Amino acid sequence: MKTVIPVENGDTLVAVRGFLKRLLEAGVVDAVLVPMETPAGAVTPALVSDSRLLDAANPLAPVMGLNAARVVGPVSIREPRGKIAAVLRPCELRALVELVKLKQASLDDMVTIGVDCLGTYDVPVYEVMRADDGVDVAAYLASAQSGELAPQDGYAFRDACQMCEKPHVSALSSGERLGGVEAVVTLELFGADLSAGIPVTLPDELAEKLGLTDPSPGPSPARRREIIEKVIAARTQVRDARFAEMDRRLEQEGIEGVFAACVRCHNCMTVCPICYCKTCLFKSPTFDHEPLQYMNWAHRKGAYRLPADTMLFHLTRLNHIVLSCVGCGMCTSACPAELPVGRVFRTIGQQVQAVFDYVPGGNVEEPLPLITFREDEWMEVGEE
Amino acid sequence: MESQPRIGVYVCHCGTNIAAMVDVEQVAEFAATLPHVVVARDYLYMCSDPGQTLIKQDIQEQQLTRVVVAACSPSMHEPTFRGATREGGINPYFMQMINIREQCSWVHTDREKATQKAKALVASAVAKAALLEPLEDREVGVTPGAVVIGGGVAGMIAALDVADAGFPVYLVEKSDHLGGHVADLNRVFPTLESAKELIEPLIKRVQTHPHVTVLLNSQVTGLEGYVGNFELQVTNSKSEGPNPKLSVGSIIIATGYDIFDPRRKPELGYGQYPNVITSLEMEHRLATGDLTVDGRSPQNVAFIQCVGSRDAQVGNLYCSRVCCMYTAKQSRLVRELLPQARVTVFFIDVRVFGKGGEEFYDETRAKRVRYRRGSVSEIYQRDGRVVLVGEDTLLSRPIEFEADLVVLAVGMEPRADTATLSTLFKLPRSADGFFMESHPKLRPVDTVVDGVFLAGCCQGPKDIPDTVAQAKAAASSALIPLILGTVPVESATAVVDADLCAGCGMCVDVCPFGAPALDPLWGVSRVNAVLCKGCGACAAACPSKAIQMQRFTPEQIMAQVDALME
Repeated sequence: MKTVIPVENGDTLVAVRGFLKRLLEAGVVDAVLVPMETPAGAVTPALVSDSRLLDAANPLAPVMGLNAARVVGPVSIREPRGKIAAVLRPCELRALVELVKLKQASLDDMVTIGVDCLGTYDVPVYEVMRADDGVDVAAYLASAQSGELAPQDGYAFRDACQMCEKPHVSALSSGERLGGVEAVVTLELFGADLSAGIPVTLPDELAEKLGLTDPSPGPSPARRREIIEKVIAARTQVRDARFAEMDRRLEQEGIEGVFAACVRCHNCMTVCPICYCKTCLFKSPTFDHEPLQYMNWAHRKGAYRLPADTMLFHLTRLNHIVLSCVGCGMCTSACPAELPVGRVFRTIGQQVQAVFDYVPGGNVEEPLPLITFREDEWMEVGEE
Repeated sequence: MESQPRIGVYVCHCGTNIAAMVDVEQVAEFAATLPHVVVARDYLYMCSDPGQTLIKQDIQEQQLTRVVVAACSPSMHEPTFRGATREGGINPYFMQMINIREQCSWVHTDREKATQKAKALVASAVAKAALLEPLEDREVGVTPGAVVIGGGVAGMIAALDVADAGFPVYLVEKSDHLGGHVADLNRVFPTLESAKELIEPLIKRVQTHPHVTVLLNSQVTGLEGYVGNFELQVTNSKSEGPNPKLSVGSIIIATGYDIFDPRRKPELGYGQYPNVITSLEMEHRLATGDLTVDGRSPQNVAFIQCVGSRDAQVGNLYCSRVCCMYTAKQSRLVRELLPQARVTVFFIDVRVFGKGGEEFYDETRAKRVRYRRGSVSEIYQRDGRVVLVGEDTLLSRPIEFEADLVVLAVGMEPRADTATLSTLFKLPRSADGFFMESHPKLRPVDTVVDGVFLAGCCQGPKDIPDTVAQAKAAASSALIPLILGTVPVESATAVVDADLCAGCGMCVDVCPFGAPALDPLWGVSRVNAVLCKGCGACAAACPSKAIQMQRFTPEQIMAQVDALME
């Protein structure tokens, strides 16, 4: 059912909090996984069971310090657990779809609440913004209606957000996919006047339990489509320019050149929502070399770059996750050397995903290419 | 904790197979300089008794703890050198083979570079050998009994041999009767004895044998397990009841062949003209003695050989191996039944290779059957007779030949359901579409699936003597695990470190043998070591290397790669 969550006094956030509280109060779920604001203003996800504490929930805060799919996995993977609602951005929902395929998360008894994303800031940027100028939430939310998504003056959205061409959600129960990632409940920000109401699509049964029984058309689907297409067009332009630029760099410097300053901190692996190994092979004794071994390498090559095995680490991670990479860009955000990790993965991922005709995060029913055997695949390999 | 490894390296000449393209002496000299290597030798044939003795003696005299053999493919001689290593007194899995024949000497043309490559390969094997772990030989018990699929001559003979050895046999036959194609024949070459007299006692023995259970109207529709312990699902097309599951130790496939349908060569007019019949239809006519066409006795009978065989146009490049002989037989019987008739055989080549074959062919010609080397490209009807048009390939002249009766010597084709069985049993097929044996010379009844054997024409066209020979061979191979009561299973299996396993199940999905499964309680992968063939697909798919192949650990592979980069 399509309806609108009413907004009073222009306070969109309060309306969203009210909606989440009703989920708990109506007994629809046992807990809500949602970004919460600490008293000091930092934003971090929490699993909330007490509806009163949802006064601190802020899923509209334009900051992303973590792809929340990473925390949905551990809280959802095994029975017994209660019923959970998880409020997620499109890139988090897509990562969650991949984790479900990798058996690292479960959608059973899970109400996914997808929210259109207007772009996010890195944590340090958000902190400076809060301290210096304050965050203009009203202007940020107003951008949803026009589709003119722009960061606050003097700041920049996260690198991945600037080139994100999948910022929207699509309701499971709705026919209008628009290529967006699916969720059980969708908060459809694009094209809407959020100071008046928040368009939402949700299953009829759920709507009834929440007392949202008045179907309301909200903004026209055509209007929403128009705004989404506008956003996608602008983002795609940025994306393609960056792909081209990265292709050039990879061509000229090689991937070893692009990653030359890597300090092998493994941050990119730690924050990656897809990297699901319990212990990364690169943290295992396989890569503890004897001092003599380093000396042998130094002799063999004349000079041996340190720390060792950085290229092998990136190539292995690329090999392991690039087909499932949803482009959330947390790797870039987490890199202390400010290397364009996410751009490399997206540029290469785009090409590899096309080879296998695979869309990561698209649909839990679509099998991973690694486990799909096709007899007639890649017949041209080895041919002239 | 063992002290530093002591490695012996053995470089094989393989006659000139390796030595012609690789300087084996130089490779051995180089190997002697590698870390931990205490002895390095080259020898003419390392797999020969004196070659193996070198290894055994060195293990004892030089206190070797690891052995590296640079020779052919491990699929050829790994068991040989493991045996020598065991006899030398150390764990057989302390032997590492490296292939410098198929992967080096045979594929290169520059001796200097090939020698360089052989050295690098040997260095990589030495690096890995230092890290090898001992393994134990493993075996599992066998379910006594066999399933034979197909109730023709091949299947019946194989079933009887296994049953005579005292093991229960289930003979699964798709149709409602035993006997296969032979039951449809009149007389058999070269003895001209009655096919009925040949097949009926065989059927009777099968039906009354206390150890044979015949399942008619039945097909195998499911397969689980492995050599020694297979479980087959059998579906009966006539019964509604529950389908039996058969538990056996080995399986013989004897599903036979289909007969080429000459309608696929419409230019020969089969199905259009009553004068054109197949050789199988000729068998029926010879059995009844009625050769008339439209009530008239034919005066001119023509046989056309190689219909559907040796024919790129229909995709069958192979020779069906029986048509020359049965054509000689049929043409001769026609001569006897119709002494006045002219009988002509059009052939590409005459292949009568079996015992008594050439003699039979000579006798046939002596009975004035005319053999004409030529290919018939078209048959059309004229005044109630048919006209064969083609080329006499000896004289390079066109043929136009009138006949009252034309017999098409149709060949054999793989059964239409070969693909289904091939998928079910994971059996590869050769280019001709028949099931493929493990080795064309040395393992002619084995398949790549341990415990599954081939008998008869499902492996390729053959006559009755060859079929029986192969059936008896398949039966004796199938008996080996049944008699031994145990089967060896791969020692180098995949193993899971449950602490590292995230339970993603990639290993489960990529394994072709169903060896790993997710433990429902702990959510981690567990490997059924009996099912594991050691292929390593799981280890390659596992991102955290929680599942590893013994003898192919990341450390061993990294050491090999590193040595190759030297």
